[in-house]
Amino acid sequence: MNVRLPSRENVVTRSLAQIGNSGLFLLTLLAAVPRSMRHVRETIRQLWFVGAMSLTIIMTCGLFVGMVLMLQLYHVLSIFGGTSASGMVVALSVYRELGPVVTALLFAGRAGTAVTAEIGLMRATDQISAMEMMAVDPIAYVATPRFLAGLIAMPLLCCVFCAMAVFGGHLVGVTWLGIDNGTFWSNMTAVVDVRTDIVNGVLLKSLAFGAVVSLIAVFQGFTTPPTSEGVAYATTRTVVASSIAILALDFVLTAFLM
Amino acid sequence: MSQPRNSYAVGTGLFIVLGFAALAYLATQTSSVANVRQGDSYTLQTQFTNIGQLKERAPVKIAGVRVGQVQSITLKPGHDVADVTLSIDRQYDHIPQDSVATIFTSGLLGDQYVGIEYGSAKQVVADGGSLARTRSTQPLEQMLSKFFGAGGVVDNVGGSYTVKANFTNVGTLSVGAPVKMAGVVIGSVQSVRADPVQLNASVVLSIDKRYNAIPDDSAAAVFTSGLIGSQYVAIQPGGSPDALKDGDEMVLTQSAMQLEDLIGKFLVNGSGDKKPAGEK
Repeated sequence: MNVRLPSRENVVTRSLAQIGNSGLFLLTLLAAVPRSMRHVRETIRQLWFVGAMSLTIIMTCGLFVGMVLMLQLYHVLSIFGGTSASGMVVALSVYRELGPVVTALLFAGRAGTAVTAEIGLMRATDQISAMEMMAVDPIAYVATPRFLAGLIAMPLLCCVFCAMAVFGGHLVGVTWLGIDNGTFWSNMTAVVDVRTDIVNGVLLKSLAFGAVVSLIAVFQGFTTPPTSEGVAYATTRTVVASSIAILALDFVLTAFLM
Repeated sequence: MSQPRNSYAVGTGLFIVLGFAALAYLATQTSSVANVRQGDSYTLQTQFTNIGQLKERAPVKIAGVRVGQVQSITLKPGHDVADVTLSIDRQYDHIPQDSVATIFTSGLLGDQYVGIEYGSAKQVVADGGSLARTRSTQPLEQMLSKFFGAGGVVDNVGGSYTVKANFTNVGTLSVGAPVKMAGVVIGSVQSVRADPVQLNASVVLSIDKRYNAIPDDSAAAVFTSGLIGSQYVAIQPGGSPDALKDGDEMVLTQSAMQLEDLIGKFLVNGSGDKKPAGEK
């Protein structure tokens, strides 16, 4: 893996070089997918770490997002006597926007940083070089499993988030505020469309976000300067770059998928 | 040696199962599988003079049960009726030829759908065939004006293609509002100004060049989409052989109905009827 170090000319050329390097890095990662098939167990271990371990935060946040959304909608819609529509608005807004975006932001904070810091420290403590000396390909053993794990984990986490948000909306709307249970579900099922909302909204968006966040996290880890400062800086960069990339990509995807 | 690894594997397996369970929950509990068209279907052609708010993929119902969906809505240049293609489940292929297709609204503010009422003919409509008998949506204004027996006020107009039209009252019509014929958008409102001499609203409509066969005695009316929707200009085609040209005048206009006026009239009429009854 050879990353061309950007010259210190100015911000524009440096960020362009970053984008170019991460693009090349993505190709390297994808090329290593067949080789990393030997390390399936490592991929599963990473999936456990970035996916299963993130469930708590994703479920809690999903629940509260659904609850607060329902609370807000109820108060606005009660002005027009349209509270029965609040369930479907919660479902649509969560499936199309909030679910994938909030899950991806949480995922970047919870899993992306950990991946960057782990790989960064491996680099700082020369573990990567040690692997190369032992003829273990660090891309196939370290980078690709983490990338694939993120790619698989994000859509699943997003589904859990959305389900929890609907559950939270139901809890507040039906149990506490007294919207009719049947109206809540029938309005929701009448409007939510499997293809446009669930496949395009939940699955496709979260898959794209998962790819971007994992790529940024692994790339930042691999290119960090091997110092403690460098690792700290790379971890921060993962969160900042991921957040910007998620929100910008969300706009582009929405524009294309609508 | 494999003990810790197996615990990872179990945890990961649980996570994946949970994720897919959540996906299945979203797909089956919160969305209707019936929203996705499934199975074989065949198409029927219908024509409506006004489709209102009907959209593609709106349901087609027989006896209130969903049997298909609206495949496409088009307005051919030069025609004043909207062509609506219905895609209906192959199961329901015994629709009599003289059945009536009607555009209904679910509730007062709900979405619109196409309802098919069976006729009595022996012959069945074939794939790609057409239902000749249709009933269009009734814009609320038309229904109300029929109900109250009060039509719009007819007044004079002048204009260009960019056609100009004068209304005594445009309601909340704004620049950029759609101009519709048979419920399909064919242009937009270019400007709305008060005429300082005639003391009415002068509206300039910009109409797509494709629709150049609109009779010059057509009427322009300000309608509202739904009960609380935004307002638009509807063109109701006349019967003149001559078409509207750039710079032509639309003679007949119907102003926006104001709900307050109508309710006021209704109340006044109601009390007016009651008074003599009370005096007797």
